[in-house]
Amino acid sequence: MRIYAPVGAVGPAAISRAVTEPTLAGKRIGILDNSKPNAGLLLQRLAEGLAVRTGATVGLVERKNAALPAPDDLLARLAEAEVVLTGSAD
Amino acid sequence: MADPLEMLDIASDDPEAVRDCYAERGWGDGLPLVAPTPERVDAMLATCNADPDEPVAVLPPRSGVATRRVIAVNAVLAGCRPEHLPVLVAAVRALARPEINLRGVNATTHPVAPLLIVHGEIAQTAGYNPGLGAFGPGNVANAATGRALRLILLHVAGAVPGAGDASTQGGPAKYTYCVAENLAESPWGGYAASVGVAAVSAVTVHCGEAPHNFHDMESKDPAAILDKAASAMTSLGSNNAPVSSGEFFVMLCPEHAAACDDAGWTRDRVASYLHERAQMRVGDLRAAFALRAWAPWQEALDDDAMMSVTEHPCNIKIIVVGGPGKHSSVIPSWGMTRSATVPVEV
Repeated sequence: MRIYAPVGAVGPAAISRAVTEPTLAGKRIGILDNSKPNAGLLLQRLAEGLAVRTGATVGLVERKNAALPAPDDLLARLAEAEVVLTGSAD
Repeated sequence: MADPLEMLDIASDDPEAVRDCYAERGWGDGLPLVAPTPERVDAMLATCNADPDEPVAVLPPRSGVATRRVIAVNAVLAGCRPEHLPVLVAAVRALARPEINLRGVNATTHPVAPLLIVHGEIAQTAGYNPGLGAFGPGNVANAATGRALRLILLHVAGAVPGAGDASTQGGPAKYTYCVAENLAESPWGGYAASVGVAAVSAVTVHCGEAPHNFHDMESKDPAAILDKAASAMTSLGSNNAPVSSGEFFVMLCPEHAAACDDAGWTRDRVASYLHERAQMRVGDLRAAFALRAWAPWQEALDDDAMMSVTEHPCNIKIIVVGGPGKHSSVIPSWGMTRSATVPVEV
């Protein structure tokens, strides 16, 4: 006999991923700190290490609440960076 | 129109066989499941006048498209009857409201579960239990509709533990969490109308913890009863402590509600009283939470000031639920979410 699968379709992705930068030399690295413990410190150190190795610069540090989507004006400011580091859990 | 739903071949329609077939694919809630055969799903949709393949909502984090047919499949799995389907469709609409913040609700490490509250005529006609034992167990409508909503979250929204649900301990309210408002014994009329939804039938979704009981066997004075509710609300263990915009749902039993009404207290006065009494010392809250979501004026308060655990009395929702006895409950919020009340379209 036949039964339905329960999951249904997946909706179209609203946002496509940006093309990866071929080199970071001269580019700006942004940080989106989601306010989880030590996220800002960890991302700052990662960005600084990446900048030393690649010739990029670190700028544009933004902070948001982990439980809510980032506001549009915050994303607009971060969009001026070519690379953004984010993501931290408990 | 959404894509046709995938079909599976299965040797038996035994509930255990469906559970095991689904479990191999990472589906189900661990309990036996009613086989969603085309005949059963068609019967579930028989009284539905709308296009069964029209998207009702897209649910995060999976971005799953919830059509009435997909909702009906999950309703069959959970043991719902066709008269429960309009409640589920309305619940899915409510879950998709932006103020619910379903992505956060599903993905958080907190044990939050959406509580579905059924209001109005359909609570009676579709057999929901607003009275004795309303939170369960025993009633088909409450049990099956709440379970179906969780199955929709697992299957359509992708809130699978580990993949789309990071809840550290999980929780029993994540199996089924549905109750009906006791309109017949509410001295203040229906809750939905009180928040501007003047429909014959409606549902509210509140994303919170499991209920925290409080009892008062002796008081006729509303203040004495409600002081116990305020005590249950003022806990460093709830997310309302660090999130000042969070709601509380205070589910009063009919006898406690009658005591308030007998003393001339309205629903708003009950909420205002709880707002005044459910206060904590600002310094204690600061010491407990480095990460806080407070309003700027609250951050400016001195440590010795007392502060209500939610910013405004409107965040304290009063609903009459249950039967004889003097037990009521407080349902704290996950915090970064607001409840939604929507009409049921029959």
